[in-house]
Amino acid sequence: MHIAEGFLPPLHAAIWSALAAPFVVAGARRVNRLLRDQPQLQLLLAASGAFAFLLSALKLPSITGSSSHATGVGLGAMLFGPSVMALLGAIVLCFQALLLAHGGLTTLGANVFALAVVGPWVAFAILRGARRLHAPFAAAVFVAALSGNLATYLTTAGQLALAFPDPASGVMGSFLKFAAVFAPTQLPLAAVEGLLTVSIVNFLREYSGDELRALEVLPASRAAEAG
Amino acid sequence: MKRRTLAWSMLALAIAIGSALVGGRLRDGGFAGSDSRAMAAVAALQPAYRPWFGFVWEPPPEIAGGLFALQAALGAGVLGYYLGFKRGQARRRQDRADEGD
Repeated sequence: MHIAEGFLPPLHAAIWSALAAPFVVAGARRVNRLLRDQPQLQLLLAASGAFAFLLSALKLPSITGSSSHATGVGLGAMLFGPSVMALLGAIVLCFQALLLAHGGLTTLGANVFALAVVGPWVAFAILRGARRLHAPFAAAVFVAALSGNLATYLTTAGQLALAFPDPASGVMGSFLKFAAVFAPTQLPLAAVEGLLTVSIVNFLREYSGDELRALEVLPASRAAEAG
Repeated sequence: MKRRTLAWSMLALAIAIGSALVGGRLRDGGFAGSDSRAMAAVAALQPAYRPWFGFVWEPPPEIAGGLFALQAALGAGVLGYYLGFKRGQARRRQDRADEGD
């Protein structure tokens, strides 16, 4: 989902930056408030950021013969709510744009919007929806993290399609082309991300009951509840 | 619970390895990044488009791998610290409870 440096026309780059900026600011405020009001969650917040750092550094091979990224933003979105991940995701993307020539400064806004706004919100919303439907817990987390990853890449496909419509079939045709580049590669990787997210969440439900209770987002397991 | 967590991670590993085996057999199985394929698709759609801004700094190829590894190591280090810390905390709590008995 990293649109390379200079690969969005200036107007598009500016618009996506303007759209992403308020989310990052809101995320920074939320993180600030969280650290002030519930300092005991500091370490879990760092671990969620670290999970995104780790997963987005790994280029994983896929069945299509290409490689791509996990995003790692679903976990934090499910624990702390999606706005927190806007800040943490933006930090990851800055690191990659400045040190790894991966993504870019002009496309930072668009990339933040896809990875750190759309992905976390989709993961968060799907977890909420699945919980309301009384889906088994692990399945809900799996589908939420997987969907967050796919949504990020479909957003990137949409951003590229808006900037580079197909001369014959327009924005929609172009979107399908970009989505066809991403989707088949992304699907197994999204599944890997979903599985890794479930294993971390399982651990948290076992050992981090206090933090989960303070966050009121994910229920702790019954064993941890009793302990 | 612990065994199940291990099983989830193993399944993730199996998908990654399976994907590598399947993908590696394809004709264009060089595992090029899907990002760079998307940028190639941009060039196909609008051959006249030229990126209008270059990287501020680009790591030399030999260094880039190390920087990616650094990013992963920072993430894994902090995450591992947290997981180990919580396990130790749980064990201490357990020990105290045993002493209390």
